[in-house]
Amino acid sequence: MIDLNTCIIDNNSTYVYGFKKMISLKNAGQQVTHFNNGVEAIDYLKNPLNAFNLPDIIFLDINMPVMNGWEFMNEFVEIKSQLRKKISIYILSASADINDIERAKNISDISDYILKPVDWCRLEEIFNSLQMAG
Amino acid sequence: MSNEQAIDNMSFSEDKFSDDSRLHLAQIIDNINAGIWEYNINTRVIKWSAGFYTLLGYEPGEIECSNHTFFEQLLYHQDKTIFLNALTNQNSKQSNPVQVRLLTKSSGYHWFESTVKRYPDTKAKTIYGSIINIHDYKQAQLKAARDDLNYADTLRIAKLGSWEIEAGSLNLTLSKHTYDIFELQAEVKLTIDEVISFFEPQHRATLQTAINNALEFCQPYDLELLFRTAKNHVLWVKAKGVPIINEYGKCIIVKNIIQDIDNSKRKGLSLESSLNLLTDQNKRLQNFAYIVSHNLRSHTGNLQFMVKLYEETDVREDRAEIFSHIKSIGSSLNSTIEHLNEIVKIQTEITNERSVINFESIFKNVQLAIKSNIDALNAHIEYDFSQCTEISYVPAYMESILQNLLTNALKYSHPDRQPFIKCYTIKDRNYVYLIFEDNGIGIDLERYGDKVFGMYKTFHQNPDARGIGLFITRNQIEALGGTIKVESTVNIGTKFTIKLV
Repeated sequence: MIDLNTCIIDNNSTYVYGFKKMISLKNAGQQVTHFNNGVEAIDYLKNPLNAFNLPDIIFLDINMPVMNGWEFMNEFVEIKSQLRKKISIYILSASADINDIERAKNISDISDYILKPVDWCRLEEIFNSLQMAG
Repeated sequence: MSNEQAIDNMSFSEDKFSDDSRLHLAQIIDNINAGIWEYNINTRVIKWSAGFYTLLGYEPGEIECSNHTFFEQLLYHQDKTIFLNALTNQNSKQSNPVQVRLLTKSSGYHWFESTVKRYPDTKAKTIYGSIINIHDYKQAQLKAARDDLNYADTLRIAKLGSWEIEAGSLNLTLSKHTYDIFELQAEVKLTIDEVISFFEPQHRATLQTAINNALEFCQPYDLELLFRTAKNHVLWVKAKGVPIINEYGKCIIVKNIIQDIDNSKRKGLSLESSLNLLTDQNKRLQNFAYIVSHNLRSHTGNLQFMVKLYEETDVREDRAEIFSHIKSIGSSLNSTIEHLNEIVKIQTEITNERSVINFESIFKNVQLAIKSNIDALNAHIEYDFSQCTEISYVPAYMESILQNLLTNALKYSHPDRQPFIKCYTIKDRNYVYLIFEDNGIGIDLERYGDKVFGMYKTFHQNPDARGIGLFITRNQIEALGGTIKVESTVNIGTKFTIKLV
């Protein structure tokens, strides 16, 4: 499996730990970048120093302080044309609220809405589909 | 036969008529729809024309022509006085006809009108009169009077007054009931401006515009407004007006009604406010259910996640690490449940009795409780409760509100300056406000305005941010019927305004 540069934007440290742990248990070499909120992630993406180390895939939480998932998406749409890479974005949230799910559907840059917690099979599916496409 | 009888019975024996003309007159008299009677005071002899019998439904002579018959059988007993008065009151030449009820042969009592006159040329011993049936007229009159009474009663019960504006002169005509609603004497003349001045200031412009539009553009209006009577009673009224237009489409008269709807309006308003209260409470409950599902779900999800990871690895270090996370999930779960418990408590404590609390003493207690925080930041705290020193409130709520706001102000103090916190009360008309100001880092309200008081909404990367304090505070304030508002400028400070009651 070719390593995908994976990113998670989530302020729940326990979940982030579990997410990283799961990936490392299954696929030791995969790089996982973590940001506590949208602002940190946008700052990273915008920084030219990181231009050659951009994630292939972002798992995005919705409820976060400072900049939440929706606000991140607004910013992301603004900067995506300047990025050297196509980045796939998945919502990874505990919110089963139908309004959140509908809202995600209406944003074309969001590939899918995944409810927490996520199992390895689902992640593997996503990684595989991306690798095929890439 | 009736001719002879008429002549026989009537006193046409004096001389100015020829036999022919007497006969002719008698014919006329018998054929007009009227009866004629004559009564001699001295002899007490009474005479009736044929028409008299006919009017009552009898053949002439069918009943005995006598005083007794008249007074005891025909005349309605209640009308006797009127008739006798008319007979004896013969001083003035011009006497008014009397209206009495007489018993007809087959259709009960009917109303009749009779003239009562003395012969001017005889020695005033004979009285005569003509009698006509006025039954239909009288019935209509009585019905009209009854209708008028009903109408007046209805208006009185409906508390409805009508008034008119004449478009040309702008003269007003006000019904009696309108004056009653105004609590004015009916003689007072009013202008449009004066009528409008009876309405409360905030409603005057509305009515003025409505009346102008009715006069100029023939627009009807229908308003519910606050009104102050001449005796200073404030009540809700319905003011409604319909323009009457002429054939050129111009308004000639505006017909208006004014109705006292105070009772129902106030009931409606109180219903509306209970509905708002219920809607608020319902929103809070819905929010609560959402919080319960979302927050518990997040913890249980994590727990499930960790257990699975635990199973997937055999490495001892990994397992130890995972287990420490499981423990921390356990404690977050616990604190979430405690938070939820706090919210539930608000709803149950609302039934707790309010008592009169003193702002200063509670504020001092709160300061004491978090003294170490205050000292650590070297915060300057001022208070001034002189405008309102006491209030009836749930003591636990007030303590919690003050503590949350104070803790918040300290937590979000600006790192570059000494925290300056001010707490004071304001009394404005019927309301008591509690104001809380700080010079902290502020909140970007344009971005977070609607979320400031939400649960688990944090806006700063402050490790202490729990996102529960202001949520609880808002719930406590709203549970007692108050409101909380926030004004803030990033890097300048924050001001909370709490309407307590």
